[in-house]
Amino acid sequence: MGSRYVQLHCADDQLSMTAESPADAQALAAALRASGEWLDVVPGIDSVVVRFDAGAIDARDAQRRVTELLADGVPAIRDSQQLVEIPVVYGGTFGPDLVDVCTQLNLSTEDFIAMHTQRNYRVEMLGFTPGFAFVGGLDERLHVARRQQPRQRVAPGSIGIADAFTGLYTLSSPGGWTLVGRTPANLFRPRSEEPFVLQVGTRIRFVPIEVAEFDT
Amino acid sequence: MTITVVKPGLQTTVQSRPRTGLRHLGVPASGAADPLSLATANCLVSNDWDAPALEVTLLGPTLRFNTDRAFAVTGGNFALTLNGETLHPHETVRAKAGDTLAIGGSGQGARCYVAFAGGLSAAEVLGSSSTYLPGELGGIAGRVLEKGDELRLHADTPDVNELSTPAEFRLPMSSSWALRACDSFETNRLTVESRERLFDSNWTVGRRADRMGLQLQGARLDVSSDGHMPSAPVFPGTVQCPESGSPFVLSVDAGTVGGYPRVAQVSRADRHLLGQLQPGDHVRLLYREVDHAAVDLRAKLSYWRDWLPDIEQIV
Repeated sequence: MGSRYVQLHCADDQLSMTAESPADAQALAAALRASGEWLDVVPGIDSVVVRFDAGAIDARDAQRRVTELLADGVPAIRDSQQLVEIPVVYGGTFGPDLVDVCTQLNLSTEDFIAMHTQRNYRVEMLGFTPGFAFVGGLDERLHVARRQQPRQRVAPGSIGIADAFTGLYTLSSPGGWTLVGRTPANLFRPRSEEPFVLQVGTRIRFVPIEVAEFDT
Repeated sequence: MTITVVKPGLQTTVQSRPRTGLRHLGVPASGAADPLSLATANCLVSNDWDAPALEVTLLGPTLRFNTDRAFAVTGGNFALTLNGETLHPHETVRAKAGDTLAIGGSGQGARCYVAFAGGLSAAEVLGSSSTYLPGELGGIAGRVLEKGDELRLHADTPDVNELSTPAEFRLPMSSSWALRACDSFETNRLTVESRERLFDSNWTVGRRADRMGLQLQGARLDVSSDGHMPSAPVFPGTVQCPESGSPFVLSVDAGTVGGYPRVAQVSRADRHLLGQLQPGDHVRLLYREVDHAAVDLRAKLSYWRDWLPDIEQIV
């Protein structure tokens, strides 16, 4: 909290501002969204973009308004007390890049699974496709770059890693993350009252399961 | 009150308004790729601009009416026949039960829109009945039309006057397009020469051109990027350039965040044209300062308001 200086950059009907962290981006976005005067407010990992109605207001007025709304600081997003367990089959056809990534990291697959499942994580951001979750807190020893050649199709439920994040694919989509496993959990339920099982601030833990348990 | 799908066409979907205000949850806009043509079609049958209608892509469907119903076709220049007789776009047509509408291939423009008086009946999911194919949401079970589908029409139909779109509101089709565009947030990662090339060369729309985005082929751009750019918000009309130097422009179904440098933003005034670009078309990005782009937008809104009073919501 407290006053802060925001520098805004404009692209057509969009204003972008930098954020100090994913949590800061979420807090900034929530505060701006609450004012109800923007077409879209979308947080990224280290930025927030606001889309304003360029037919009705000038970029300069939109910039002034964003600065006003953030002048008194923003409240942080509270973590959920609930811990969601995500069952995961690691490796094999479910995690086709696990062997390669372990070779690259000089780890056995058992080490990798032990390291990936031993801590609690936090959902830092949703985005890309509906409900796709960017889960933060990955052990530094497991950080890898994105694949140079993205896949045309990644199966729903796939679990990938890229830099400091584990990513949960809720839909079949193209994807560039290194795939280490897959969950049978249905994390996006468009026809239910609460379509998004995971939300920003949800704490999760990955639990290894056997292939035989995937469909049960 | 139904319409039978005799032949489905290449990619025919039900589209309506975009999904809005959910991008922070990863929900893309979806909706008509060319919303201005959707609105023009709905206008001819006295519907609200966003009544669910068919979006036809490159090769059209054959449809049989099982009830009397007014309809209209607008958008790309497709071959149209009703019971084998040539049919004109941009006019209200009163079909009789048993009539067959056949939509062939497109000459210019990638998509046409078929609106029916009263609109198609489709369930709303996350605020719209538009089909979002990757998530299997909206429309007909979230998928493209298939042979044998029975499309349900709304029972309530408005009183339809026979209209014809005035010539000045018939969106001109072409195989050579100009899209006004602004710098975006990582335009400065292009070399000076590459930025000039981006805004000053002829691009060709690649084979990968769909509701997700369109590949631009032509000059290679030099972009400084290490492949570790933190995922950042993107929108329909955002031009991204990966390390390969081949830019692509995002369309209505694209993901809500991306990890490639954002090097340009097609201005809101021209974003609806992205739905009409087909593979092989030529396209130029015309550079605009942000303030200039806003003037362009207001001029366009003011022009269209005479025919489409809801134009602010449409584009």
